[in-house]
Amino acid sequence: MRQQYARRSQALMYVIVLIALAIVVQMFRIQNSSEAAIFRQRASNYAYELKTYYPDRGEIYDRNGHLLAGNTIVYEVGVDLNAVQDVNAIATAVSAELGMDYAAVANAIQDPGEGISYVVLADYVDAENALNLQALKKALNDQAGEGVAGGLVGLEFKSHPHRSYPEKSLASNVLGFVSREGLGYFGVEEKYDALLAGSPVQVLVPTDPNKAFEIPRVPDGTTLVLTVNRDLQAATEKILDESLANYGAQNGTIVIMNPSNGEILAMAVSRRMDLNQFWNYGSIFDTASQFNPAISTPYEPGSVIKILTMAAALDSGSVVPGTTYLDTGAILVGGATIQNWDENPWGLQDMTGCLQHSLNVCMAMLSTNMGATNFYSYMDNFGLGHLTGVDMAGEAAGRLKLPGDADWYPVDLGTNAFGQGVTATPIQIMAAASSIANKGRTVMPHVLSAMVRDGRQYNVPAQFAGTPISESTATTLTGMLAVSLESEGSLALVPGYRIAGKTGTAQIPVNGFYDASQTNASFIGWGPVDAPEFMIYVWLERPSTSIWGSETAAPVFAEVAQKTVLLLNIPPDSIRQQIVAK
Amino acid sequence: MNVPNVTRYIHAYKSAPWRIEIQWAGSVSLAVIASLMVGAMYLSVSSSTAVAGREIQELNAAMIANQQINTDLQTELATLTSSSTMEERALELGFRPVAPDEVEYLMVPGYFEPKPDILASAELPQMSAQTVPHEYSQSLLNWLDERISVPTRGIQ
Repeated sequence: MRQQYARRSQALMYVIVLIALAIVVQMFRIQNSSEAAIFRQRASNYAYELKTYYPDRGEIYDRNGHLLAGNTIVYEVGVDLNAVQDVNAIATAVSAELGMDYAAVANAIQDPGEGISYVVLADYVDAENALNLQALKKALNDQAGEGVAGGLVGLEFKSHPHRSYPEKSLASNVLGFVSREGLGYFGVEEKYDALLAGSPVQVLVPTDPNKAFEIPRVPDGTTLVLTVNRDLQAATEKILDESLANYGAQNGTIVIMNPSNGEILAMAVSRRMDLNQFWNYGSIFDTASQFNPAISTPYEPGSVIKILTMAAALDSGSVVPGTTYLDTGAILVGGATIQNWDENPWGLQDMTGCLQHSLNVCMAMLSTNMGATNFYSYMDNFGLGHLTGVDMAGEAAGRLKLPGDADWYPVDLGTNAFGQGVTATPIQIMAAASSIANKGRTVMPHVLSAMVRDGRQYNVPAQFAGTPISESTATTLTGMLAVSLESEGSLALVPGYRIAGKTGTAQIPVNGFYDASQTNASFIGWGPVDAPEFMIYVWLERPSTSIWGSETAAPVFAEVAQKTVLLLNIPPDSIRQQIVAK
Repeated sequence: MNVPNVTRYIHAYKSAPWRIEIQWAGSVSLAVIASLMVGAMYLSVSSSTAVAGREIQELNAAMIANQQINTDLQTELATLTSSSTMEERALELGFRPVAPDEVEYLMVPGYFEPKPDILASAELPQMSAQTVPHEYSQSLLNWLDERISVPTRGIQ
């Protein structure tokens, strides 16, 4: 009996083993069959999906954390042609909501071209419009009932970020803008385009959930913190706009910089554009240099250059503040007669009087006494004719003609000394003048304060471009400039604060000749004199109420300076000195 | 118990063929059951991994969407608090710009002006190979290998 059971068990075991073997053999056969290879090939086609990632472009903040450039969600509206059921419904809804042509939408869906399964109807659609369409699609689906497709089935929405400027036109000349292709133009957006990045990236993403760890990490762009103070920028732009109206100027530029470290606190220009509507660029600007004249438009600055000439003369030892000369109202340089601005003699003058009365003859005398080599060496060291390296796109270098250049004449040695025949941008003159305000050291103007990436902030240190003059020259000249303003009761003076500065009135060359009725009125000044915290440059183009910088640019400087000390919490000199004394 | 009897029983047990067959059947069954258990465990781990992977994919998509929404809200907030808007609101509320002669400066001993906080976009945790635990990526064989080799490596 037991033997019979044993045989049955044995037989059962053989059967099971045979079945098991058959299964294993079949498994191997299927796995290695030609059909399996085909299936494997087909499966591999779906193993990865080509996806477009839209990393956020780095934001731009002002120095106090106010967002100047951010990102907002916009939508791409398209149609999945395999799912679409009612072309008319989609065309009607899309044309009504997005203001598109019904026939064009219907045609795009019905005649998409061969092999196309998805059609983009519109991109950069505002969230409001896209959400309206999404709500309509959902309502129609609900209305259609369970298991029945709604009329807008096939209409798809893909969200992606888009550059947005909450302050609209504020500091537009500093920021620049980003095109729909994700490219930065002008200003910081162009200069730091690679850092800000955030361009769409196409990557292969594994669809196999077991390979989830292979999902690529597309990093967002670097966030930038600017040195610009938003409130000061807004106040400066407002003052500039009012000044253009008050003085009948065609255009204007005001720049505020910290002369001790080169941080640009505000940079206002009269032509500004709402950066959210960058496509209006062509209707606002005729040339690219008009976008930010503070760095892109060199002009003959006139008498503001005199502070550089005087700095060179003092530093080279040609003169001291007390050096006197007899002003006869004219001087012959290179065979040409140079006259004072009023064509009158000013008699015996010292160097402070020379600056106070802005005497061209005095300046021509200084430059000729120094000699061309010495004079141009100083001007070159001040950075005239060179880029300052300011970190905004589109900087122009201006022109400083040098002996040996084809268009340089001996008279240029005289005229260059008071700002004729030499061109510079406002930022160049500020960089040069910073050496006078900053104990002889020239700062590099910049707008980038810090970068924030992966949660870490990297601060940008101040950089210096050289030391064209000594500290004692800088201190002496600053004192002379302050005295000259105080002596003439300049409209640039700010109650409670000691200011150093210089006006500039430059005739504008028209058809090869200087037109006395058209001028560029400028003023450069800084304060408080003993510890400068701001340097302000004002440039008004062709003011009509008065051609003189002392009557137009100087009072604008005073107004900007008063606003600056308020917004930067700079107490009057008397209080500040009390604080320092304690 | 005498020894001849014991020897006889052992001999009888050893020589009973059904016992040998049962031993064989038992061994094979044990092997089959063990294989089934390993297979079931492997299936269980694979399905858990797949589910976790799918969750990661969905969470990743949700994370990107939330990040975009946050950025959008941040920009909207900046628009609502922009310089021009705030100025308009201040004027509506009856405020006016302060005149220089209205400002009074006070000395506060020990006061230092606070440095501004930069409101950079919050860094959401980004998924990378380092942050995914091994359990989500290694196979059963890898796991066994790790378990076996770890003590060995420890000795070395």
